Amino acid sequence: MTVQKKKVLLAPLDPVHDIGLKMIKRGLDQAEHDTILLPPDYSPEEIIKTAMDNDVDVILISRTLGYRVAEILGSFIDLAEASGIRERVRIGIGGMAIRPELAAELGFDAGFGPGTTVEEAVAFVEGREYVKEDVSRSKFKKDMTEKYDYTFKNKRIENLLNAIVDGIIDYVKNKTTPGVERAKIRERMLESTDETEVLKLKKEYARLCDNVVKVYYDSGALKEKTRHLTAEELKALETYLEKLKLRINPLKLQHADKNPMVFIQYGTGCPFMDIAHIKTCEAWGADGVVHFDPSWGARTEGFFEGYITHEEDGSVITYENLRIIKDALMPSTLWQVRAHRGLNTPETVLLAGKVGADLTKINIAYGSLGGGTDPERLTVDAVAAIKYAARFDMPFDVVTNEELCGVPAHKAFAGMLIVTMLGLRLGAKPILQPLFCYSPEVMISGQMRDNYVDFNAAKISALRSILNAPIWCGAPIGFLTQTEDRVQSSLSTALHASLASVLGVDGISIASADEAYSGGPISVAARIDTLRATQSAFRFFGHAEITPTRNSEIWASQIVEGIESTLDSVAKNGNFVDALYRGLLGSRGEGAYPGRAGRGTVTSL
Amino acid sequence: MSGALERVMDAVDIETFLVCDDEEEGKRLSLQLMNELGFKDASIVFIQHQGPGARVRIRGYIYKPGDSYAWLFKKDN
Repeated sequence: MTVQKKKVLLAPLDPVHDIGLKMIKRGLDQAEHDTILLPPDYSPEEIIKTAMDNDVDVILISRTLGYRVAEILGSFIDLAEASGIRERVRIGIGGMAIRPELAAELGFDAGFGPGTTVEEAVAFVEGREYVKEDVSRSKFKKDMTEKYDYTFKNKRIENLLNAIVDGIIDYVKNKTTPGVERAKIRERMLESTDETEVLKLKKEYARLCDNVVKVYYDSGALKEKTRHLTAEELKALETYLEKLKLRINPLKLQHADKNPMVFIQYGTGCPFMDIAHIKTCEAWGADGVVHFDPSWGARTEGFFEGYITHEEDGSVITYENLRIIKDALMPSTLWQVRAHRGLNTPETVLLAGKVGADLTKINIAYGSLGGGTDPERLTVDAVAAIKYAARFDMPFDVVTNEELCGVPAHKAFAGMLIVTMLGLRLGAKPILQPLFCYSPEVMISGQMRDNYVDFNAAKISALRSILNAPIWCGAPIGFLTQTEDRVQSSLSTALHASLASVLGVDGISIASADEAYSGGPISVAARIDTLRATQSAFRFFGHAEITPTRNSEIWASQIVEGIESTLDSVAKNGNFVDALYRGLLGSRGEGAYPGRAGRGTVTSL
Repeated sequence: MSGALERVMDAVDIETFLVCDDEEEGKRLSLQLMNELGFKDASIVFIQHQGPGARVRIRGYIYKPGDSYAWLFKKDN
């Protein structure tokens, strides 16, 4: 369609400010309209006279100062009417002091408030409706692992990892656990169409569960503080989501191609509140969401069934709960279900895979040294879980939160690399997840006394020197640097996001501005604050760099040396599980305690 | 005015998220909320609407420059 060329007068009705009009002039010039830009501080009479002398089609006025705004703009419109140009000239007003309702009230044809784009103003001049870009159409799911071939640059570390993983694969052969067996039964239940068989399988399943879950399968009674969602609530959710679908046009957080994917973590306890938070985070640009289950769920053998809400932190894992969350997601949203600790890891990965999750989370070292699960139990369960991850083509991150217990980065990384190699050998796609935060190790040793940049950069550099694998910084970035104040908290998150981006990582998990608040559930407003802050930070840095000091290189070398010596000691020990108990990947003195949940439950086939 | 409100130096900001269909509804609800809370001089500092609702910062002024500030006359001053 050919657009008719317009003659446009742009005039700042303001003592000094005219930047917005200059930007619009450029847009109009590019669209081949004729433009006249007046300098600031012209009187309404001078502006109207210029419009009449030049026979313009459109006048665009800007006003930044709020002082006497209604009075000045009102008199401008009165003057335009008195001069006789009002009927044939369209007049728009924009600027920081302008709100569309004020513009309409004063008689302007359009009002452009803060945040107006040049395209919007051009559309007004051309007399066409402005259609906001639909980001949801350009957003698509990215595979974080796609561009990595997992080549080891450090061959000594590769050889050590292979030797350790040979031992793990050999160790778990002919061993099983109640968790491994329940996952097999659950899969048969999900695939069976025969009700009698399903009932029989449920009984078999219940026999392998803790009492609190057995009671549920016997009588239908749930654990305290949990309840089934009602049919009425489920119907209302369906209606809410149907309506919401029509008006979601998400923002995009990334400004440059190198900006990482941004994940948020949810687990309010209620799948409905989770969905409400997820949809809000999607709207404000989150690329992915991570499911947090309750801590008691990890210490309990077996899962409940049905749509269940829970009054405390962490959302209960059931097939149905995962299903409604999955169904609520935008097609472009990456979804991770964590299975890094606890007594249900194989079944968690199975359910995640069956429901259609994109990612999961597995780490034997963290789950057993910082997550409370018995090392032997988790080793056997994790091998089964990784096999499910491979089968469902679900990459998994190898989280290293044992650092938060006090384990030094090099030991946590050694554990992460062992599980990474195990994943590769079992045909899965692991993602490295270093902590990107203020860990106890650096609090004690002082590597972050001057800045938060050097040591975080050293970690990424160390991992990059070892192998070519995706890196997803966690979890959440900036942990222990945030306070309860939302501005400081959001800023700290945004600065860590910027550093992660400059270092070229593939993904980051961000906290809400409530990260440091422990008095109750996270509010959705606090989630928006860190998303907005991250978006601003990406915009601020673009492709610019951050230069760490020389310390970063020194610490990167020390981390690599520490990883080698840790792996050496694990390989020499000859038994990975025993190495975990003995503290070779994090000792009691460092704050790592081998978990007790599930101890003595591994059996030989 | 309650005792605590007298001790507010100038204004009370409410930071929240309102479930609403569009920005206009968000603005209306913002001012309605402040009215329901008893603020007579309310304004919307910030509002951003996306899909599920609006992130808002709504302000209720207790004192504006030139007013007589009750906290100035606090007995133990």
